[in-house]
Amino acid sequence: MDLPPLSLDQLSAVITAGPTPTDLYTSLSAYEEQACLLSATDPSEKDLLLEFYTAFFFSHLLTDQICEARALTRRIPREISRLDAMQTCSLLLRAVWQSKHTEIYKILRELPWPGRSQPLVQRYESYFQEKTLVEMSNSYETIRIAAAATYLGLDPAAVEGDIIEKFTACGWKWDSEKQLLHPKPVVTAPPKDDSLQNELSRVMALISNQGS
Amino acid sequence: MSDFLAYLTSAPSRPHGSANITDKCYDHQLRDLIAYLKQPGVAPSTADINGYLEAISPAVHSLSYLYLLRIRIQQLQEKTAVGVPNDLQPGGTLWNQTVKFLRSFDPIQIRYVGHEWRELVDSVANAALSVSKPILAVKMIRDALERLNTAGVFTSLHLMLVKLALLSSSYTYVLPVLDKLLCHFPSDTQNAHAGILLCSEHEPSTVFFTDSSGFSANLTYRDHLQFYMYSGMVYMALKKWDQASHCLGIVISAPTANSVSKIMVEAYKKWVLANLLGHGKLFSVPNLVAPHVTRVYQSLSKPYISLAEAFEKRDFQRLRTEISLGQTIWRADKNSGLVYQVFEAYDKFLIIKLGKTFSALTMPDVLQRASSCSKGSRDIEEFVVSLVMTKELRAKLSHSPGNETTTMLRFPLSSQSHALREEHIRFRLIQKEAALNTISRAITQTKITLETSHENLQVIAKNQKLAGSSERSGVVGSTEADGGGDLDEDLMGDGR
Repeated sequence: MDLPPLSLDQLSAVITAGPTPTDLYTSLSAYEEQACLLSATDPSEKDLLLEFYTAFFFSHLLTDQICEARALTRRIPREISRLDAMQTCSLLLRAVWQSKHTEIYKILRELPWPGRSQPLVQRYESYFQEKTLVEMSNSYETIRIAAAATYLGLDPAAVEGDIIEKFTACGWKWDSEKQLLHPKPVVTAPPKDDSLQNELSRVMALISNQGS
Repeated sequence: MSDFLAYLTSAPSRPHGSANITDKCYDHQLRDLIAYLKQPGVAPSTADINGYLEAISPAVHSLSYLYLLRIRIQQLQEKTAVGVPNDLQPGGTLWNQTVKFLRSFDPIQIRYVGHEWRELVDSVANAALSVSKPILAVKMIRDALERLNTAGVFTSLHLMLVKLALLSSSYTYVLPVLDKLLCHFPSDTQNAHAGILLCSEHEPSTVFFTDSSGFSANLTYRDHLQFYMYSGMVYMALKKWDQASHCLGIVISAPTANSVSKIMVEAYKKWVLANLLGHGKLFSVPNLVAPHVTRVYQSLSKPYISLAEAFEKRDFQRLRTEISLGQTIWRADKNSGLVYQVFEAYDKFLIIKLGKTFSALTMPDVLQRASSCSKGSRDIEEFVVSLVMTKELRAKLSHSPGNETTTMLRFPLSSQSHALREEHIRFRLIQKEAALNTISRAITQTKITLETSHENLQVIAKNQKLAGSSERSGVVGSTEADGGGDLDEDLMGDGR
């Protein structure tokens, strides 16, 4: 099926449709070819390219494709990659790669982002918080409240009770005597991986063919 | 014009009108169509071709559509005297029609015109390269290869695809092709299965990819090595070290006569780095590599071996010196980026190694024990925490109570909780069960193919007994002894 032409409205429609991260990535990657055919020096197309590449960049982060996001920053036209928003994307990518939580929240919340990408910026912040919460739950046996708050980008100066409530709502326990939170490990099934089955089928087919 | 259109649409694809035709009849139809289209003077004028391209569907009449596209490209090339006419450049009309075709063609019809199909794919790659946008060809060629389904046969297009992926820095796009096992070269036409119809849907696809089918240019030893070398580089760019090591291992294990090729030596250097970055150690070369070849690798890659030795001995000063001394070598070999990552990997494996000696350490202890770590006291906790949180280090962290700001790093026997462990065991059991089912099904199929199933063997034994008793009783040439009995026919019915 032919894709509708890439335009600011179409891009907004794709972003606001709220697809799963994988679907968002798939939809936007289908538009990369159209984006390649636009001129980065034409002022009317420059905005569209900036919005597209920012959204595409976030779709990589939302699907945890950090290495490919780095590759994307290399194939963005130079005229676009020099723009402030793309420079901010690079800063964010470096902070994500280095696991600098405080910096990540600061970049997401305080630096300017193109208008149409705002929903994705907020979506990534929520995604990153959820991911970090799972990582903390499985990595820490006990954690100080300030540290836990920093990982989630919460204000450590906020009312302690509110922060504690946020974590206890996730099944964590609060030890008021020791002033420590006890995370509850999150059990997740490993991702389904068909590669072993596929390889086995191919090897067995090969043996069968060679034998006959 | 209507006669010509009638010819063009005379053999629709199987799901669109030819489903009830026998293979033999469909084969005739397609061969007749090709013979007609190849007749001299049958090519329509430019204006007509555009009309026909609009009139027919590339998915239903793939053979005819491909023929028209090729004629149009040739006409434009002759008219403009350039390899990539404007119309064929990305965004042009012909480009768009080619994209439409490569994303929807019928793989059965295309089996008859492999050469022409490959030429069209080559044109797409050249067109994308002519405007310095190789990425435009990457997804299209990947989709075309997936659609064609080469079933594990290596072709020159695989090499072209991986080269374009490296040129365009678009690595993930080609993984669906690189992740598949390639275990055949196009088969020798002489040995190709005779009497098999190209339109048959029940034969293994490998039968159709022969050295004369045209789907691949002539392949050389170098092409094979280059493909795996470039595939290794794609995986390294994505930090998939195991897959990278596997691909590079294929290159360094390639059979050699007298000399070792440069590409094999380059692959060895990258293989050393991939193993350092992925596993923190220098592996022995695969058993397939002859000792004299290993010696050649080692003598031509001395800086890399020294680097790996310093890494393995956890000698940070020496490692830093080796990296500094070899800068011109890393740059010349285009391995600077990989060598730069060695510092980070060194720190990681240093911390991981602590878990083999200690069961718990405070962060100041970690810094003291890993004194050669390139991280300072400020960064070490952040680094260790990120290793634990990303599951690269199997350990648990715990903060001390009260006002102490110490963080304890514990290396439990299992870093997983009971529930998590159970979930993983359950998952692995399911995985093993599926693997056993796959093997079991394949064994049954192989037995049928090789006629060694239990029932077959019983019938053979029975036949031999009968033949023996017939001979003894003087009756020769009975039906059962020839294997022509009812039971035999019934059993062998599906086995062929």
